[in-house]
Amino acid sequence: MNVLNEQETVLHARNVQKSYGSKGGAQQVLRGIDLRILRKEFVGIMGPSGSGKTTLLNVLATIDRTTDGTILIEDEDISTMNNTALSAFRRNKLGFLFQDYNLLDSLTVKENILLPLSLSKISKQQADNEFTAIADVLGIQELSHKYPFEISGGQKQRTAAGRALIHQPSIIFADEPTGALDSKSASSLLSVMEEVNRKRKVTIIMVTHDPVASSYCNRVVFLKDGKIYSELYRGEKSRQLFFKEIIDVQAVLGGDHIDSV
Amino acid sequence: MTVFELALRSMRQNVKHYYLYFFALIFSMSLFFVFSSLQHDQQVQSMLESSDKFLTAFQSAAILLIVIIVIFTISSNQIFLRRRSREIGLYQLIGLSKGRVARYLIIENVLLGFGALISGIICGALVSRLFVLILMKLLSLDGLPAIDFSLPAAFDTAIVFVLVVVITSVQMIFMIYRSTLLNLFQADQQPDLSSQPPSVLASILTAIYAVLGIVLLGYGYELSGRMVDEQLVVNALMVILSTIAGTYILFRVTIKWCFSWIRRRKQGHLGLYNSLSLAPLMHRMKGSANSLTLITVLSALTITLVTMAYSFYYSAEHDTRLAMPDDFAFENRLQDTQAFTSELESKGIHFNHHTIQAIRTTGVILNRLDESSRIEERLIWLPAEQLHKAGRNVSVPSKGDAVQYNAGGLNAFDDIDLSKRYPTGIELQADGQNVSYTLNELVLENMLNSNIFGSQMVVSEATLKDIEDKMFKTLDFEKVQFDAYRISDKAELALASSLYEKYKLDDHFSYDFYSQYRSALELSGLLIFIAAFLGLAFLASTGSILYFKQMTEAEQEKQSFKTLRQLGFDEKMIMKGIVRKQMVVFLLPLFIGILHSFFAVKAASFMIISDITIPAVTSIVAYTAIYFLFAIFTLGYYRKVVKHAML
Repeated sequence: MNVLNEQETVLHARNVQKSYGSKGGAQQVLRGIDLRILRKEFVGIMGPSGSGKTTLLNVLATIDRTTDGTILIEDEDISTMNNTALSAFRRNKLGFLFQDYNLLDSLTVKENILLPLSLSKISKQQADNEFTAIADVLGIQELSHKYPFEISGGQKQRTAAGRALIHQPSIIFADEPTGALDSKSASSLLSVMEEVNRKRKVTIIMVTHDPVASSYCNRVVFLKDGKIYSELYRGEKSRQLFFKEIIDVQAVLGGDHIDSV
Repeated sequence: MTVFELALRSMRQNVKHYYLYFFALIFSMSLFFVFSSLQHDQQVQSMLESSDKFLTAFQSAAILLIVIIVIFTISSNQIFLRRRSREIGLYQLIGLSKGRVARYLIIENVLLGFGALISGIICGALVSRLFVLILMKLLSLDGLPAIDFSLPAAFDTAIVFVLVVVITSVQMIFMIYRSTLLNLFQADQQPDLSSQPPSVLASILTAIYAVLGIVLLGYGYELSGRMVDEQLVVNALMVILSTIAGTYILFRVTIKWCFSWIRRRKQGHLGLYNSLSLAPLMHRMKGSANSLTLITVLSALTITLVTMAYSFYYSAEHDTRLAMPDDFAFENRLQDTQAFTSELESKGIHFNHHTIQAIRTTGVILNRLDESSRIEERLIWLPAEQLHKAGRNVSVPSKGDAVQYNAGGLNAFDDIDLSKRYPTGIELQADGQNVSYTLNELVLENMLNSNIFGSQMVVSEATLKDIEDKMFKTLDFEKVQFDAYRISDKAELALASSLYEKYKLDDHFSYDFYSQYRSALELSGLLIFIAAFLGLAFLASTGSILYFKQMTEAEQEKQSFKTLRQLGFDEKMIMKGIVRKQMVVFLLPLFIGILHSFFAVKAASFMIISDITIPAVTSIVAYTAIYFLFAIFTLGYYRKVVKHAML
């Protein structure tokens, strides 16, 4: 714990609340969440359906707005920014991974990955170097001229990961990135994410309902009814051991079914 | 649940998907109803009976209108079916046989069509009055039109409706029976792309095609410049075919080839704006080629049609005046001349009267380009001195020389260089011996009204005397006196024209300027009305097809917009890319269409003597302006989709 405290805070959420609908019949999804995420952390967010994990991710990722509370990312208060500023912020500081990959069908793998760099002032040469480095890590060099409809789900998600990494964001938000993948592609993607997190020192926040996926994280935050229920740190534990601990918490939480290893 | 109930229920719940197709049907029906009402209108009908030209113009317009309605409904039905392909697939997935699905869609189609027919007739009945008013105004006819609801027009519209429903139903049956479940579910995601670098053979073929497209267009354009000869019909057909084929290849191959080239050069660094324009355009080039070709050709057709009709209208007075420099002319009718003069004086009409003594003989104008052709024609020899005194701008040719005056002269020879034909000789036969004179030049003006028989040759008094001496014994020799009147005041001219009426002979050649001008105005007014009506129909169809297509594409690209917004590109940036794409989608066919029409108008301009720049520019500007409305609608739709993409 001491080691973590000395590190720099990259995201700090205070008393984040979110409700949908009109004031009278409003449904509160997030009921005051306090969360501090440090640089280079790989954090999993888990919880049963309806616990608000995707809402929390959207709010933290500036895709959705909070009803109340403040969120600081790298000491910038995103809850007071206007839409244009938020877009610019997302473009420069954040990366995204989605369950459905969300690649642009009409662009090749390379074009998709380089997309976040358009409108930025990075030179073509620099961008090419960065692309080569990332494509090597992700193992998609040979695919760079293929279109999304020509490659597999796992390859698509690696492409999406490339797109999330190319502009060296402060945080990558991943929403069920393994949700549409078979277990082999899933574990290979997660290994890559773990490696990227370690080697490229990227902060990753990942929502998942899969305990296997979250066992790759440094820390897992459990949500229940829009509040933080508990947290688990992996520390020096093996992944198998961490996985068992996650399963235990999930059993207490109830709700979601439990996947096998 | 019976198929009929299923159809009804699904229609109730899917109104928002149908409205587009429904609107297209209503639009077609009301357009045809208005046109048909006009055709059956008493006043218009009596006008049609008066002239074969009117009748032909109206009938060909009706056929063109049916053609465009069929093309339009087929295109929108296709777009509509593609939007619903998933639904059609779903019915088959849950176990409905293809036959039942087809039956269900056809019931739906008939119901929709019937609704469109009724609404179309109602809309049409409401606006047809307005159209008749416009028509009467254009033709400067007095008297309010009393257009009632026209039953025969409704009947005609119903027949067109049956035609449209049958065609679209056949289209639906084809679509259901020919597509597999898999392509029904993937209808909107079959990309026209491949990451494989094309083989050498394929790239050579592509290059050949790309060049072929441009060659075909060039050939069409080139041929259009020299097609007015004996084989006009064959030539015109060749021009149309090569231009349409060239346009198609241009869109299908040449432009795609250019796009691929640009894209390859980017080496993956496509950037946001190209990702939103170049990439989706290439993605759908195959499907787009058909509609872009259709729109280009229709645009060209519309602009040409409207330009020509407007030119006729615009030049009615000028062209008539060129052909008929005098308002009234009498030939050897001394008593009538006196009577007319005194009648004009008694009404207080200011006029200018002069008399010209001339002779008419038979002779041959030698053709320098073809020595063997010797065509005998009637020649009127006019003394330059008298013409000069009458205020005409002529110089006196030297003895033995003549100058021909013919306002329509250029039309006869088209683009052939006049300097190769003149000077030439004129040969007259007198008492078995040849007399020849030199014909110095052809002036593109008339000295006498064109309804006076004979080619107009201006010579000096001395030459005239010489010809008379030599020719007066020949059989065809005539001494003629022309009495010409000019009236500068428009109102007095109209009055004089009505006075002149009783001096008209039964020979169809003794018409005066004013009545000729009026009938030219009426004919061209009708032409411009028909052209504008068809043009509007064409424009509305092309615009709608583009709009519908882009609407569908906008919906298919919705996920891309959402992703881009999540990645941090804001609405403005995305719209910039979309505007770039729409520029290509709308401007490319417009520019090529205008280019086509430029050559088409040039080829057809032999029919008009006056300068047609102003009518051409006016119709292009009007067409472009209305066309841009559709682009604005399309962009508005995209903006809405992008705006709501995040939710």
